[in-house]
Amino acid sequence: MAGHDAGSQHQFTGFQKYFNAYTITGRRNCVLATYASIAAIVLFFKLKPKKQTPAITAK
Amino acid sequence: MILSFFDQFMSPTHLGIPLIALALSLPWVLIPTPTNRWLNNRLLTLQGWFINRFTQQLMLPINLGGHKWAVLLTALMLLLITLNLLGLLPYTFTPTTQLSLNMGFAVPLWLATVIIGMRNQPTAALGHLLPEGTPVPLIPVLIVIETISLFIRPLALGVRLTANLTAGHLLIQLIATAAFVLLPMMPTVAILTSTVLFLLTLLEVAVAMIQAYVFVLLLSLYLQENV
Repeated sequence: MAGHDAGSQHQFTGFQKYFNAYTITGRRNCVLATYASIAAIVLFFKLKPKKQTPAITAK
Repeated sequence: MILSFFDQFMSPTHLGIPLIALALSLPWVLIPTPTNRWLNNRLLTLQGWFINRFTQQLMLPINLGGHKWAVLLTALMLLLITLNLLGLLPYTFTPTTQLSLNMGFAVPLWLATVIIGMRNQPTAALGHLLPEGTPVPLIPVLIVIETISLFIRPLALGVRLTANLTAGHLLIQLIATAAFVLLPMMPTVAILTSTVLFLLTLLEVAVAMIQAYVFVLLLSLYLQENV
């Protein structure tokens, strides 16, 4: 792809070293983190215990 | 028996035998096989030149690892272009108007490119799902969008070919019916309609060739990303 940098001129430190939108590994980690978050949210709602509403007794 | 405009797209059977198998094997029968003569006749020479040139152009942007796809993609191109062009003859059934056939080509080949990418270079394959230089707040949104666009690809490939060919054939039948019906009533209008029909047929010949080429080109592009 023309016009892209290899991400080598960016010197990232800390969190940005692993999650950035420039280096190929940074992009890969962002993608994996997004998929993991979506999976976590889906699992959370699936495994959440359903609240038992008490039966409404006749007046 | 009322004939509807969609009867031309019904997969033909005769005495229970599906004739689509015959329709699919027709390109193989019609394309001449190279001989072991030193110099072949003009048709074979032209065919050989076309196949070589096409394969060379197709494989130019692809790395060496993808070159093993050359035969498959060129054969697919020849099959599609022959099926599409033969379908323009009157009363001929076009197998590529069947969505099942086109999805049968698109899904396995696209899936193969994705699996190759994930196996050989998983970091690059996953990294491509996030465009470079994306602003931080947009990252999750764009990843979801790129994933959706990845999975839409085989659908688009199959439906593009089906829709283009079906629409073309339908238009030809509609305008031909119009010209035929108008002939006794308004001959001038019928002649104008026939002119439109002629131009449309020329367009459909072009579309038949272009759609076959686009199908194979897009597959080669998906391969290029992953190999």
